[in-house]
Amino acid sequence: MDNAQLLNEIRETNLTYLLLAQRMIKDDKAAALFRLGITKEAAELIEALSPAQLLKIAAGNMLLCRFRFDNRILGDMLTGYVKDKIMASSHAAVLMAGQGAEPIAA
Amino acid sequence: MAGKSLVSEARQTQLAIDLIQHGARLQLLEAETTLSRERLPKLYKEVRGVSPPKGMLPFSTDWFISWQPNIHASLYIDIHRYLLTHAEIRGIEATLKAFKLYLEHCQSNHAEPVLSLTRAWSLVRFFDARLLQTTPCTRCGGHFVVHSLELYSNYVCGLCRVPSRAGKTKKAAEQARAVGLQRAA
Repeated sequence: MDNAQLLNEIRETNLTYLLLAQRMIKDDKAAALFRLGITKEAAELIEALSPAQLLKIAAGNMLLCRFRFDNRILGDMLTGYVKDKIMASSHAAVLMAGQGAEPIAA
Repeated sequence: MAGKSLVSEARQTQLAIDLIQHGARLQLLEAETTLSRERLPKLYKEVRGVSPPKGMLPFSTDWFISWQPNIHASLYIDIHRYLLTHAEIRGIEATLKAFKLYLEHCQSNHAEPVLSLTRAWSLVRFFDARLLQTTPCTRCGGHFVVHSLELYSNYVCGLCRVPSRAGKTKKAAEQARAVGLQRAA
């Protein structure tokens, strides 16, 4: 994959993510905070973005959505539950819900 | 009630309908809405088509400690706590929203929801009354529901150390047999 195409795809992913996040926050803020795993301040910031600002933020060379699993959660989802997939996902969900929200770096 | 307004009454009715649709029992409705005791059973019958169940609510905290309910209760209370700390919603709104998110989790994993809304509500009340609390599992770090005022220095959760007979219910055995028969056919 050449570089231009990569940047293009990053921008598209960013844009899709931001638009989805914005829609979720406008629909149901509390649920969106849980689903996105971000703080209220971050959500308010995203909610207030205008389309032009959204485009500007999306057009960088970095992905804006971050990986939410740490090693432990990932490990729990992948290993140990060969028999019972429901248990694996429940365990992961308990751990994820117990995690804090991603704050905006000051 | 002083300052009884039509708007607030409509809101309360809407809340009650939402609660009833999610399986709330009368005791919950009486405690969380301002609608009168005469109107609630009528509303219940209108929404669900049957009379509300009678009798007392289960009042034991032990149910939440047994293996499968404990996993579901822990998940629910973790979601609930997340909403309280980050989304700043309170009371019945938080209870209901957490319950909807919990149901979503069950649906997306094709698991049968073990908690009902009334159970979830009593779970939150048990937490408020400090009869139950959560403690971190020493292996996975997840927070799980336990009785208050006991020692949990080496607590390991039911998912890290699965009891040998966990999940092996009559129902599960029947389902497994049905799947086996289907495959054989």
